[in-house]
Amino acid sequence: MKFAVLAVVLIWTMPPAARAQASDPATQELIQKLLTRIDSLEKRVAELEKVSPTAKGPAPAAVVAAAPSPQPGGHTNHDQAPVPEPPAAETAQPVYPSLKIAGFSDLDFSATNLHGPNGGFGAQTLLDPHSGFEEGQFVLHLSSALSPKVTVFSELSLTARSDAGTGTPAAPGFSPEVERIILRYDVNDYFKLSVGRYHTPINYWNTAFHHGQWLQTTISRPEMTQFGGSFIPVHFLGALAEGAVPAGGLNFNYQVGLGNGRGQVLSRAGDFSDINNARAWLANVFIKPDALYGLQAGGSVYRDELSPLTGAPAREWIQSAHLIWQKETPEFLGEFANVTHNFFNGVTSHSQAFYLQTAYRLPWFNKQWKPYYRFEQIHVPNSDVLFRSLVPTFSGSTVGVRYDFTTFAAFKLEYRNYQRRGLPPINGIFSQTSFTF
Amino acid sequence: MRADAMRISRRAILWASIAPAALPLGAANSADVAIVVRPDVPVENLSFSELRRLMLGDRQFWSSNLKVTLLVRAPGAREREVVLKTIYQMSEAQFRQYWIAKVFRAEAASGPRIVYSNEMAAELAAAIPGAVAFVEAGQIPPGLKVLKINGLLPNQSGYPLH
Repeated sequence: MKFAVLAVVLIWTMPPAARAQASDPATQELIQKLLTRIDSLEKRVAELEKVSPTAKGPAPAAVVAAAPSPQPGGHTNHDQAPVPEPPAAETAQPVYPSLKIAGFSDLDFSATNLHGPNGGFGAQTLLDPHSGFEEGQFVLHLSSALSPKVTVFSELSLTARSDAGTGTPAAPGFSPEVERIILRYDVNDYFKLSVGRYHTPINYWNTAFHHGQWLQTTISRPEMTQFGGSFIPVHFLGALAEGAVPAGGLNFNYQVGLGNGRGQVLSRAGDFSDINNARAWLANVFIKPDALYGLQAGGSVYRDELSPLTGAPAREWIQSAHLIWQKETPEFLGEFANVTHNFFNGVTSHSQAFYLQTAYRLPWFNKQWKPYYRFEQIHVPNSDVLFRSLVPTFSGSTVGVRYDFTTFAAFKLEYRNYQRRGLPPINGIFSQTSFTF
Repeated sequence: MRADAMRISRRAILWASIAPAALPLGAANSADVAIVVRPDVPVENLSFSELRRLMLGDRQFWSSNLKVTLLVRAPGAREREVVLKTIYQMSEAQFRQYWIAKVFRAEAASGPRIVYSNEMAAELAAAIPGAVAFVEAGQIPPGLKVLKINGLLPNQSGYPLH
């Protein structure tokens, strides 16, 4: 009762303005809602007091709120009726396996001044001598937890073929590919072990965007990490250990892998055994400091022995580094990679590639527009007889804009200018509609 | 008679508490969002950076045998807006794209589970080992532990989630 008297005194000694606020319709409605809630809670307290006469009153405000004594679905004693389990709790427990599927696809248009072969660019760079629409990749991503610590990830793609219907037997219209299949056991955050076919974790783009073109800002990947390209080994078949440690706020991440390395065709992984009994290994580290949320910086090394179908065998060293600002106002991506080939005849060559990409999500028009620019360069010396016929030497600029017309679909339009060594420059207009479903 | 007196007293307390709540300072405190977990989660306090790593899916285990399950309110809920604005610093579209990419990169098996009310968040947080949910500080459900952020509980000065 003392509280009641105090409340009345407080209310009547309130400034008139405050009383006026308390008596406006919104506040009155709030009061009514709260009173109703108090009534229902009081009923609930009374019910609980009936059930458990020894129960104490509500605990004072503390870190742990007072727990209801009966456990869902259990009996507290034989005289007590079972407490019905909350409906949500029935579906709360995870079910294994828990398959989830996501789809990605893109439809493209390209028009360039290219006449003849493109000189080593990957098919998905869209540098064709003919203009027109192109069906990009149709990608299915499947993930499934097999237990709290074991998870399977896979990525399947269907890619339109330019030679469809030709040859004997006739080539199919699409090439199916198991891009990734990974089985991972998570011991904890510090150590996870997996086996499978990966996108080789030796630079940022290759493991950040994969085949879902919708996820990346631009229409195509930088050429140094292009699918079907040879500069870095895009795929890797083997085993990987990875983890992350806080490291005083630096958030140090590591990946260490052992696998088959490149196949006889350098752009492909050795999917069916190792062609030369010399395993490839890699180490990749990066930090994501707490103090600079959005920053990622790191580097990696990769070691393999190459036995190409055509060309000289060599030992391969790859060193790479990246610096990323993952936010969109602005976005910044920068990577560099050096590929060293030690040929068995004693010749050593160093090929380098890098790209710098920036973008900015404009604050207007519901933040749907994002202009971007990328500069990239690949340099292959004459001494690198392996790469000279496979990797283009060029420097290129890409300027474009991305328009997210829904949360899950985007339209991109860009202009590119590529300056090639010993060949005419390429200028082109490209567009892409990419989406996830 | 005792029950009636108690009811009157509680209503008086409500009136007394609503009056200052109409003032700006009180309104700010009542808007805090609490982080709740089951009492068996072996954590009492998180730094804001640790909370962010947790919500980004970069930290996925409370301990080696207890995996984190994120529960996030559906779009439109104030708790979700607070989480996106203060922890993720992302728009709704960026948040969705972030989790699609996270799963696509094989860094997480799935994104946060969506809950449609504070009651549902509380039920699932109580039912799923390792689950973490966000509820309005004034509606902290019984039986769940409220985590401190930077050593602060909701409604304490400097608490970051509001």
